[in-house]
Parts: sequence; structure tokens; C-alpha cells
Amino acid sequence: MNIIDWFLDRFRLKTVHRGIFDRDIPEGISYFYCFGGIAFSAFLFCFISGLFLSLHYIPSEKEAYQSILRIQEEVPLGKLIRGIHKWSANVLIVSIIFHSIRVFVTKSYRPPRELNWVVGVLVFLIIMLEGFTGYLLPWDQKAYWATVVGTNIAGSIPFVGETILLIIRGNYEVSGVTLSRFYSFHVLWFPSIIILLLWAHFHMIKKLGISKPL
Amino acid sequence: MKKKFYPDYLIEILFFAILTFELILILTFIFPPLIGREIDLLVAYQPRPEWYYLWLFWLLRYFSADTVFIGGVLVPLSIVSFLILVPWIDKKIGWKFTALIAFTFLLIFLIATIIEAIS
Repeated sequence: MNIIDWFLDRFRLKTVHRGIFDRDIPEGISYFYCFGGIAFSAFLFCFISGLFLSLHYIPSEKEAYQSILRIQEEVPLGKLIRGIHKWSANVLIVSIIFHSIRVFVTKSYRPPRELNWVVGVLVFLIIMLEGFTGYLLPWDQKAYWATVVGTNIAGSIPFVGETILLIIRGNYEVSGVTLSRFYSFHVLWFPSIIILLLWAHFHMIKKLGISKPL
Repeated sequence: MKKKFYPDYLIEILFFAILTFELILILTFIFPPLIGREIDLLVAYQPRPEWYYLWLFWLLRYFSADTVFIGGVLVPLSIVSFLILVPWIDKKIGWKFTALIAFTFLLIFLIATIIEAIS
């Protein structure tokens, strides 16, 4: 028994492994089908570079800006990791847009895959919110005022606006409380939700198969 | 010939994953990340959002302070509801009309983003 077989057996992964690797891929799949994979790769690059950034970033009112400066100037490869984080986020959003267009044009959202489409839209929504919360974290002039403007929109809703604004900002003004809140959303809440949704997304692809091209 | 996930499809996925990483690296080297000035509450500042929010920025120009929630909350929410309901809208009115609505949204998104980006 070689080491891979031993691992798969002890983990009881044999059937799962077969379900993933022995699947048939329908004929006539073109390169337009690659955007989902690109989006997932970009998500992983974002995730991994984010793990490294969080080693040096300090989410506090006094130190956030200084810690970003340190990442940028002093930390070895800090600037590179920050660049990878930023650009993989951009690639992620572009590839999700192309992926949605591909799915729409090939009508792959039709039954039995309509729930998978819904899950995909939710992932897109949360990725957009990741972009919004991540924008505040450098805690510079641009980040601060963009968040003031952005959260003001939520505050403009009649009747419930002020409550929602307080929930988002944690305070009447954008302050250190908002920073810790956005940091928590950006690195804990949203990534956990995305991972759950992506699991559902891939589970359904595995069970229902890739839709047959037209 | 029947394609299998392993090895035919997996190698293509890995190829594109590596290509994506190379693209990200190239973009990082050409456009390194910047850091703005420190927060100064006394200086008025016109913030600009990331490019994927520029369409909303453009839209909000047409709303006054009292109606800003229509452009900032109701419009995005209705777009999200439309997207979620696409499979059922398609069943009701057919693919062509759904595509027309979706294409209109996409066109407005692209035009608004370009207008905001060059202004």
C-alpha cells in the first residue's frame, strides 16, 4: 500500500476522490468555460496573500496606517504580497463577470442548476462587499472618505437607515470601531461565508455535472 | 473521445491557474500598490471608489440628498434580485427578453464605468 492509498483509505476519501477525478467531462467544452476556474484561482491567491498580510497588519486606529507603511517599505516582499492581494481581487471580479456571462449565454442556469446560479450570485455579492470593506483597511485619507460616503448611502434609507448605519459603523462616525468591524467582516465573516457557498457551488457541479454545451 | 476530469481537464485547469498567477504578478510589477496620505479630518477630500463601484458613483450623481437611497440601495438591490431570479424570469418570458434586460444592465455598467473613469 503506497502512501497516497494509505492516506486516502485512512481518511475514507476513496469514493469522494473517485467522484471528483473520474468524472466525465461533456464534449465540446470551449475555452470560455475557463473563467470559473480562473475566478477560483484568483480567490485562492487572494486568500493566501491575505493570510500573509494579516501577519503584519494591525487593525487599530492608531497603528493601521503605520503597519501598512511598514508592510509597504520594510517587510520583506511586503509590497509584492500587497500587490498580489490587490490585483488578484481585481482579476477575481473581472473573471466572475465573464463567468456569469458565459453561464448566461450557454443557458447553464436552467434546471436542475438554478440553485447553483443563485449561490453564484450570492458569492459575487459578498465578493463585492469584500472589496468595500477591504478598501477601508489601509486607513488613509482615500479609504476613510470613501467609507464615509459609502456608509452614508446605507444611512439614507428611510426609517431604518440610522440603525443600519450604527450596525455598520459601530458608532455615529467612521472611527476605530468601524475599522475593527470592517476588519472582522473582511477576514472572518465574509471569507467563511464565501467558503461555505463555494463548497455548495462545487458540490452541485460535482453531483449535477458540467452542463452540456449547446 | 470521452474526456475525463483527470487527467485531461485537470491539466487545463492547472494551466489556467498558473497563467492567472502570472498575469497577477505582471500587473503587480507594472502597477505596484500605492498608499495614500494619512487621515486628515480637516481637509475635504473627494474620494473615488474602486472601478467596480464607479457605475454606482455615476448613478448617484442623479439623486439628491433625500432620494439617494433609491440610487444607492434600491437600484443595486433590484439588480441583485433580478440576477437571483434569472432562472425563473427565463422560464416566464424566455431567454431572449431576459438576455435583453441583462445586456442592457451590462451596457449601462460598462458605459457608466467608462464615463466615470475618464472624467
